[in-house]
Amino acid sequence: MRIRDFKTSYENDEAIWQTPVARAWMAALVAGLLAFPFVAGGYLVNLACLLGIHIIATAGLNIMTGYTGLISLGHAAFMGVGCYTAAYLAHRGVPFYLTIPAAGVAAATIGIIVGIPSLRIKGLYLAIATLATQFLLVFVFQEWTSVTGGASGTIVPAARIGDFVFNTDLRMFYPIWICAAILLLGARNLFRTRVGRAFIAIRDKDISAQVLGINLLRYKLSSFAIATFYAGVAGALLAYYYRAMSPEYFTLQLSIFYLAAIIVGGLGSTLGSILGAVFMTLLPELLRGIVASIALWAPRSLEILSPLQQAVFGLIIIVFLIFEPHGMADIWRRIRRFFHLWPFRA
Amino acid sequence: MTTEVNSKVAMNRRQLLKAGLGGATMLSGLNLTVAFAETGDIVVGASQPMTGVFAFAGVALNQGLSDFCEWKNEKGGIGGRKLRYYSEDSGYKLDQSMSVFKKLVSLHQPPVFMGDSSGWAKAASQEVKETGKMLLSGPSFATDLADPQNVPYYFMAGPTWLAQLKMLFKFVVDSAKGANKPSVALVYSDTEFGRDPIVAGREYAKTIGLPIVLEVVTKAGAVDVSTEVARLRRAKPDFVIFHGHVLAPIPEFIKQMRESGMTARPLGTNWSMDKLNVDAMGDAADGWTGVMPHVYSYETKDAPMIAELNAFARKKRPDVGYLPMFYVYSWFVGSIFAEVLERCVRNGKPLDGANMRGALESIENWDSGGFVGLPISMKGHQTGMGRVYQYDKGSKLLKPISDWISIT
Repeated sequence: MRIRDFKTSYENDEAIWQTPVARAWMAALVAGLLAFPFVAGGYLVNLACLLGIHIIATAGLNIMTGYTGLISLGHAAFMGVGCYTAAYLAHRGVPFYLTIPAAGVAAATIGIIVGIPSLRIKGLYLAIATLATQFLLVFVFQEWTSVTGGASGTIVPAARIGDFVFNTDLRMFYPIWICAAILLLGARNLFRTRVGRAFIAIRDKDISAQVLGINLLRYKLSSFAIATFYAGVAGALLAYYYRAMSPEYFTLQLSIFYLAAIIVGGLGSTLGSILGAVFMTLLPELLRGIVASIALWAPRSLEILSPLQQAVFGLIIIVFLIFEPHGMADIWRRIRRFFHLWPFRA
Repeated sequence: MTTEVNSKVAMNRRQLLKAGLGGATMLSGLNLTVAFAETGDIVVGASQPMTGVFAFAGVALNQGLSDFCEWKNEKGGIGGRKLRYYSEDSGYKLDQSMSVFKKLVSLHQPPVFMGDSSGWAKAASQEVKETGKMLLSGPSFATDLADPQNVPYYFMAGPTWLAQLKMLFKFVVDSAKGANKPSVALVYSDTEFGRDPIVAGREYAKTIGLPIVLEVVTKAGAVDVSTEVARLRRAKPDFVIFHGHVLAPIPEFIKQMRESGMTARPLGTNWSMDKLNVDAMGDAADGWTGVMPHVYSYETKDAPMIAELNAFARKKRPDVGYLPMFYVYSWFVGSIFAEVLERCVRNGKPLDGANMRGALESIENWDSGGFVGLPISMKGHQTGMGRVYQYDKGSKLLKPISDWISIT
């Protein structure tokens, strides 16, 4: 406990940011995010936009896999459902502030259907069922040409409010991060409610949870619905961000990217979702930046070092999992604990 | 004692992490600081797939454009201004490719940029359509990219995949002996690349009365094709057209087709036509035929640019043997970039999207220096011509068996 941090009411005890220091840091983070596009270059704003989208999708998968224990290998396909729903509605003149939640609802609807087998199967068997969904949905994206544009993909009209068009990274930064903030806050709060605690109980032992009166059907499907809603919103934002999408984006590789993000970040932790997405998005960029810097002085090295950077990325993940099996969220917890006692640490 | 040892280990690990992070940040920061030191030159940007499934093509594409820029600088640059080439690995992933694009655009403001895929071309074109500052190109010959109205700042140095398929259909019809029209089977990969020309190609085949007796969709790089070959055998086509593959599964298809007694002639579109890949087919390569959007690096006769390309590549890389078609393609794209830039600089126009598009569309009856055998017009944002080549087992070279066919 932080020095002089006295909790004098239940509200105080249940608050997300319990101390003035935590609230000050959060305010600084929000201020930093608001100012970021104006002080950072185009490339960094692009990375921040991508990061925001990946954080939303990762947070969704963490709700299903990290908190509820339901493994999914089809998360990318649910993003695809959101992406194509938003594109389809946008072409029909529906404003983006309606298409984005609609995309989430469409993905959640499919998610509920896919989640039904989770009542009977779990673990690796569920992973394979969701894997089948991944391939099935990508097949639909490729074949349902009238809606998705088929294998060539679809062009998405830019998001707009009146005459204000969200056609640059700077302009898209805010809708993306507003959605990310709302959904992360939602995820954080979810696990302070009966629903969230039911998810955790199911993850820890579903039979015991049922004995305790938790309706497995309802809560497992709720978990699927919420997680895929997040994926759908992420997919819709992706559609508005790139404004051109094809089924080739929503690969199994992307689903594994999100699975890796929650494992590296920390299973069952909202902060872990953020840190995992940051790690998986920014580390390859950092490595590529290093290679590009070396290539400025030795141009031929680009061809040799580019494949090497992938090996280094893989190696870093392995080393990370060996030394930090609880994910980056645990490192963050240790850092915080250190500063709670600083400068009086023994 | 144990705690002390652990704490020392932990300290070391932390120090290592700090050192690693610090070093990495410094190195990646160098990239940013160097950018501020440059002035005056014209930047050519590229995101090339130097890793991933198309790495073998990406490395050659990168070398080609890099060498072209150096060669052009040796020849005096663009109106005295030097070309400066910046590229990074795209990994053939949309996120990465777009990040490279945005990074190089924000750091160096290249007026011209070469990307890596149809996905990149479509996403980047949407952005450039808004900003109107650049001219783009890449190795994608997707049909809907050759559309000056909707994709105003992209061009391709070749005919679209649909145009190539039409050329192959025409070749099939012309090759027909006797009164009966030959039949065709289409084998294409389950990718955007593979599916791009199929629907419109099917319609075109109908209009010229060419029967398509079977369509086979494969995974890109599929291995087991025995079921598909059995279907082909039952359909008995005279020609089998492959599209959307670079190498696998074409050799396996042809090998099994021959083993099952099929005599159908295999044909392919441009990216399956590199000599190294065709050599790798082994015995299956005999008679392999397909469309090329430009000549091969060994066709130097009446092609001064190809002779220059060879001389420069061999001067810079003395150990180089055959120069792949991907390398030649990059030089071809580079030549068109240079022509556009020169037209703008000559007329004193700023290098923005509108001027470069105007310069591109003003290219009419342009002599490319032998990349293709006919004068080029870029009105439709594609060179729009190809020639049919066939593999000659004796010389192990692909040799032209048709004249240049123009669709413009």
